[in-house]
Amino acid sequence: MNSNKANRMSIFLITCCAVLMAGILLGLVGYILYQGFSHISLRFLTSDASAFLAGGGIKNQLWNSFYILFITMLFTVPLGIAGGIYMAEYAKPNKLTGFMRSCLEVLSSLPSIIVGMFGMLVFVNFFHWEYSILSGALALTVFNLPVIVRVCEDALRSVPQDQRLSGLALGLTKWHTIKKVLLPAAFPGILTGLILSAGRVFGESAALLFTAGLSTPNLDFTNWNPLAPNSPLNVFRSAETLSVHIWAVNADSIIPDAKQVAYGAAAVLVLCILLFNVSARCLGRLVERKMTGK
Amino acid sequence: MLTQLKENIVYPEPKKQNIIIEVNELNVYYKNNHAVKNVSLPIRERSITALIGPSGCGKSTFLRTINRMNDLIPGAKCQGEIMYDGINLLDKKIDVVALRKEIGMVFQKPNPFPKSIYENIAMPLKFAGIRGKKRLNDIVEESLYQAALLDEVKDRLSQSALSLSGGQQQRLCIARALALKPKVLLLDEPTSALDPVSSAKIEDLLLSLKKQVSLAVVTHNMQQAARIADQTAFFYEGEVVEYNDTSIMFTKPVYKKTEDYINGRFG
Repeated sequence: MNSNKANRMSIFLITCCAVLMAGILLGLVGYILYQGFSHISLRFLTSDASAFLAGGGIKNQLWNSFYILFITMLFTVPLGIAGGIYMAEYAKPNKLTGFMRSCLEVLSSLPSIIVGMFGMLVFVNFFHWEYSILSGALALTVFNLPVIVRVCEDALRSVPQDQRLSGLALGLTKWHTIKKVLLPAAFPGILTGLILSAGRVFGESAALLFTAGLSTPNLDFTNWNPLAPNSPLNVFRSAETLSVHIWAVNADSIIPDAKQVAYGAAAVLVLCILLFNVSARCLGRLVERKMTGK
Repeated sequence: MLTQLKENIVYPEPKKQNIIIEVNELNVYYKNNHAVKNVSLPIRERSITALIGPSGCGKSTFLRTINRMNDLIPGAKCQGEIMYDGINLLDKKIDVVALRKEIGMVFQKPNPFPKSIYENIAMPLKFAGIRGKKRLNDIVEESLYQAALLDEVKDRLSQSALSLSGGQQQRLCIARALALKPKVLLLDEPTSALDPVSSAKIEDLLLSLKKQVSLAVVTHNMQQAARIADQTAFFYEGEVVEYNDTSIMFTKPVYKKTEDYINGRFG
C-alpha cells in the first residue's frame, strides 16, 4: 500500500516537472511570437535596417546569420566528423585520450563571451582580419567544434560492435569499414546533431559581438563578387547577425520602433531555430526509415 | 556400460578428408586470463567441424583466433601455430585483410549492414576489386542462391536488409561471406539467436555448403552438432578434452567429462 502510494506520488511529481518544462517553453515561444509575429512582413524581411527612422527591416542581418552559419559549418563539419571518428574509432583508452576528452568538454562548456574575447584577440587583432565574417565564423567554430565532435563520437559509438566485426570479417580495412558501414549507420544521428548545433550557432550572439562586429556595410545584393567590399559574399567585411541585431537594437538604438523591431527579429530567430529543430527530427527519421526499410 | 551397448553396431568408416587448417599447440591469453590452453586441432576440408562445450570454455576465442579477429581485442596474445596453405596464420607479417577474405566468419547475431540487400553483398565485393555491373549481379545472385535465399528476396534486392526476418538476415550474412569465395567459413553460434524453423534452414544450408567450403561451427546445441557435424571437438576450460568423428563422439566418448556434457549432466 505504502509503496503503491510512493509510486503514484513519484509519477505525479515527474509528470509535474515535465508539464512545467513544456509550459515554460511554450510560454516563452508563445510570448515572443505573440509580440513579434504581427511585425513580421515581407517588407520587414527584405528591407535594410534604418539608423534613425521607424520602419527598418532585417534583410542584411538575416542574410549575415545564414551566411556566417554556412561558413561556420564549412569549417566545423569536416573537422568535427574527423575528430569524432578519431575519438570513437582510433583513440586508445589511455591518459592522452582522457585529457583530450576533458579538453573537449571544457571547450564546449566555455561561456560564449569568452570564446568571443578569444576570437577577438586571435582572429581580429593577431591575424588582422578585423571585425569580419571570417573572424566570426572561426570564433563560432571554436564554440561549435566540440559539440560536433561529441555528436559524431556518440553516433559512431552507438553503432553496434558487430557491425565493425562483420565489416572486418568480410575483408574490409578498418578505414573502409568506417567509411562504408559505420558512418552510413551513424548518419541519422550525425545529421540530427549537426542541424541542432546549427540552431545553436544561428542564435549565438555573445561570441560574435567582438568578432563579426555590430555593423554591416551597405550590401549590394546584385554584386556577387566575393572580393568586392559591398558584396554579400565577402568574408572580410563586418557582419551584424540577427541575434546581435536584437541585442544592439534593444541596448542602444535610437529608432522609435526599437521594441517592435527587436520583437519581430526575435520572432524570426525563434521561427528559424524551430525550423532547424523540426527539420532535424524529420530528416533524421526519414533517413532512418530509408535505412531500416520500416 | 556404454561400450557394452554399442559393441555390436558397425559404424561406416568415416571418410578421412584432407586437413585444410592445422592448429598446433595454440595458447591464447586475455591479459591474465589463459583462455585457450595448448589446443591442437585439425579442420578438415569440405566437412563440418563442430566446437562444443560450456560457456566460457574458449571455443569462440579459438574460432576468432583463426581469422585473427582477436587482434581487435586489446590485451589478447596468441602463441603456437595455425597452419593454413603452408603458412602460419599467427605470423605478424600476414595481411589480415586478405586472410579474412579466404577465411570468412558469420556471427551469432545476424548483423547485416543497414543497406540494401544487394549492397550488403556487393559492397565487400567492390572493395575486393570486383568491377562491372554484370559480374557483380552474377555473384550476388549466385551467393544468394547458395545461401538458399534467392527465391525469397529476388524481387526486392534494393530493399533494406533490415526489413528481412532474423533467419533471412542470417542467411544473407552467410551469402555475403560466400560471395568472397572463402575456402573456410567460421560460424560462431549461427543459430542461437534464431527460432527453430529458421535454425533448421540454416542447418540444411550448412550441410549443402560443405561441398564447396570447409566449415567450423561453434554451437551450444548438442543435437545440432550431432545432426550436422562430421567431426566434433569438445572444449572444457580452455582445453580440448576430446576430438573425434561426430558419430563416435556422440556414441562412444572416450572421456567421462565428454559423456557427462553430451548427456546434459553439466553445461
